[in-house]
Amino acid sequence: MQFDQEIDASGLACPMPIVKTKKALAGLASGQVLRVVGTDPGSVDDMPAFAESGGHTLLSSTEEGGRYVFLIRKG
Amino acid sequence: MATDLSTTVVAGGFVLGLVFGGVAQKSNFCTMGAISDVVNMGHWGRMRMWMLAVAVAMLGAAGLAAGGWVDLSQAVVMRPNLPWLSLIVGGLVFGAGMTLTGGCPSRNLVRLGGGSLRSFVVLVFVAVAGYMTLKGLFGAWRAAWLDPVALPLAEWGWPDQGLPTALSRATGLATTTALGVAVAAIAVPLAAFALRDARFRGNVWQWVGALIIGGVIVGGWYVSGHLGFGENPETLEDSFFATNSRTLESLSFIAPLAFGLELLLLWTDQSLHLSFGIAAVGGMILGAAGVALATRRFRWEGFASLSDLRQQLLGAAMMGFGGVTALGCTVGQGLSGLSTLAMGSFLATAAIVVGCVATLKWLAWREEAR
Repeated sequence: MQFDQEIDASGLACPMPIVKTKKALAGLASGQVLRVVGTDPGSVDDMPAFAESGGHTLLSSTEEGGRYVFLIRKG
Repeated sequence: MATDLSTTVVAGGFVLGLVFGGVAQKSNFCTMGAISDVVNMGHWGRMRMWMLAVAVAMLGAAGLAAGGWVDLSQAVVMRPNLPWLSLIVGGLVFGAGMTLTGGCPSRNLVRLGGGSLRSFVVLVFVAVAGYMTLKGLFGAWRAAWLDPVALPLAEWGWPDQGLPTALSRATGLATTTALGVAVAAIAVPLAAFALRDARFRGNVWQWVGALIIGGVIVGGWYVSGHLGFGENPETLEDSFFATNSRTLESLSFIAPLAFGLELLLLWTDQSLHLSFGIAAVGGMILGAAGVALATRRFRWEGFASLSDLRQQLLGAAMMGFGGVTALGCTVGQGLSGLSTLAMGSFLATAAIVVGCVATLKWLAWREEAR
């Protein structure tokens, strides 16, 4: 799936993946898609809660080669 | 008899740790995460979980005390001496440290069970710094500059530092009545706030997990304070068995990590034994590992970079120093301590939260500045 911006949060532990995602989403327009790549296993639980509370849509949450990949559409 | 009691307490600590670790792994229970969710997302799910767990622990502990099964006034956090400077400084430093490492020691034990070698290194440094604060260089500083600044409640005739005692002295209520009033005034609103949210009630693992974790804290008091209380054949006096504090304990992780390291380093010293707290640490790791493997979420994890290593080691040292100085961590003070209604536990927990929030704000500001 296509995305408008990508951030790499690899090696960062909670809460930094969320902090970086929040900052990146602030720079996008509503409807644009952000791809987040990270290694923190806790982010698998954190991202859905973050998307829900911020009014965004978590399009997918997958694991690719030991990394967690999230696609989030800004609400 | 003494050996039987010690075995019971150690086995009880292990089983309680096993349950806590498994539930925390499955439900993503994390105090730092709960605070971070509120600060960074305005999401209260994990905070409600913590609130419900505290409420259950308070109600259960009060029930044990009112029924005469345990004497909570004997717990370390209930001593009639309020070292308020240590509680505030220790809490602030601990709260900042756990934010730098992305979770408190209990969270790092759960992560270790999930395959994080980074958390293993963090926990070793927590243990080293904790031991240094118990008996070493940091301990000398703590004893010289922080602990002496205290309210000498015993000199004022207080039997302990519990809120029920304060309420009883202020109003003349009987002690048991004061305990009922205090626990109802705090635990019921906490539980009501947690359960008011339909999404929280719909997340079965979160609210069931909170009930279980609260129950584990109550179980800790029962195991070490009731099952583990009996006559010592050497002194012929009633004593608490198999706790490092030589009194009743529920779950806490800083001192047990430090004493666990001491036990491993000085294994041949016949005066050292496996304790309730050390067994709980082992149970936590195994419980978390079991759930991680069963749910296919076990992943080996290491340090990502030099800056990551630096931040983790700094946070670990701060948690070791802060946790011992504040007489407990997010579990030792934030769950077990609060369940006794000790005034110092409210102070320490508030300081941990303030330290965490301030560091979260700093991390966000640093990210914005980049």
